[in-house]
Amino acid sequence: MTTPSCPVPIPLDALVAYWLGELDEAAEAQLDEHLFGCGTCSAQLQDLVGLGDGIRMLVQRGRLRAVVTDALPKRLVDAGLRVREYVVSRNGSVHCTIAPDDDVVFARLEAPLTDVRQLDVLVFPAEGPGHERLEHVAFNASASEVVVVPGTDLLRSLPASTMRMQLVAVEHGSDRLIGEYTFHHTPWVLLQQS
Amino acid sequence: MLTLSYASSVESDPHDSALRDAEPDDASLARRIAAGRPGLAADAEAELYRRLAPRVRLYGLRHLRERQAAADLVQQVLLMTIERLRAGRVREPERLASYVLGMCRMVVLDLQRTHARHERLLGTFAHDLSGAESAGTPQLDDASLLRCLERLPERERSVLVMTFYDDRQARDVAVDLGVSEGNVRVIRHRGLERLRECMGGKAASL
Repeated sequence: MTTPSCPVPIPLDALVAYWLGELDEAAEAQLDEHLFGCGTCSAQLQDLVGLGDGIRMLVQRGRLRAVVTDALPKRLVDAGLRVREYVVSRNGSVHCTIAPDDDVVFARLEAPLTDVRQLDVLVFPAEGPGHERLEHVAFNASASEVVVVPGTDLLRSLPASTMRMQLVAVEHGSDRLIGEYTFHHTPWVLLQQS
Repeated sequence: MLTLSYASSVESDPHDSALRDAEPDDASLARRIAAGRPGLAADAEAELYRRLAPRVRLYGLRHLRERQAAADLVQQVLLMTIERLRAGRVREPERLASYVLGMCRMVVLDLQRTHARHERLLGTFAHDLSGAESAGTPQLDDASLLRCLERLPERERSVLVMTFYDDRQARDVAVDLGVSEGNVRVIRHRGLERLRECMGGKAASL
């Protein structure tokens, strides 16, 4: 138990699988034994758990920008978080804001995604030319929507403004526009004054 | 009544002990506790606690999935371990790790029954308690973690978020994304490797 370094360290994949409960009973019992007797590997598992905790906290605070699927908003609501959600139809627009006590904001972009292999999101900022391209985002082709978490830090810093997103399918090296989505953002304070 | 009142001070200053310099193995510590009269082997007990507590806690987190339950496990198992060492009831000190693991397995079964009831009552307040529950896990620098996550390719960040928000298995994430389980494992692995490289420090040891 006091060995300073491990002669047969557990690979990262196996540690993750152990932590997530993906191993069979025998393999799990074997890793239990190893981790109890090995300070090096148990410290590595501790670090992995710390990373997971950090990701969870950033998601709970809505600080992390990500494209996810419908399953995550549901689980955040189940956990008691205050979730603000906007559904934007294909080529549609929405008036939006973020309240002081919102934990997470989602945008559901409706789109026909059948047969799409690679999907990119183009984000056109409210001001200035150009756009940001989010390549190869996660989506479920059968869901007919893309769920975008823009990040609360960004939203809280925005003035009254209009920004756009486009979904594009990448096919044989070229883009096919699937839909455009427009967000008319108003800061919460301005909404309260009007 | 046995108490473990030295636990917090030992954990907060792990290097301030002559025992650390000598690095006796666990069996030596166990024998020292068994040989000493109650209270006279406090330094050995503290050192053993310092070594075992993180591993028992990890075992508890993995098998109970609840931080308070894991903390309870640490207290109960180490209390019993030291009590039995003091009483000379641990026959093979060189197999102390297996002995403690066996106790963990036994206590986890009890705690799973107890905490199943508690979870039903506490479920409504899970969000309010989430901050307190992070106590005891090594805290990473939020800003660095955020920056490193934002540097990941979109797909890898998504899979890591969908995996670690509530510890979901590859097969569940695969269903959400409509891809194969193997594909999720590959993306997850790449994402974690990149995150590790970016974070450096603690996470780099993964």
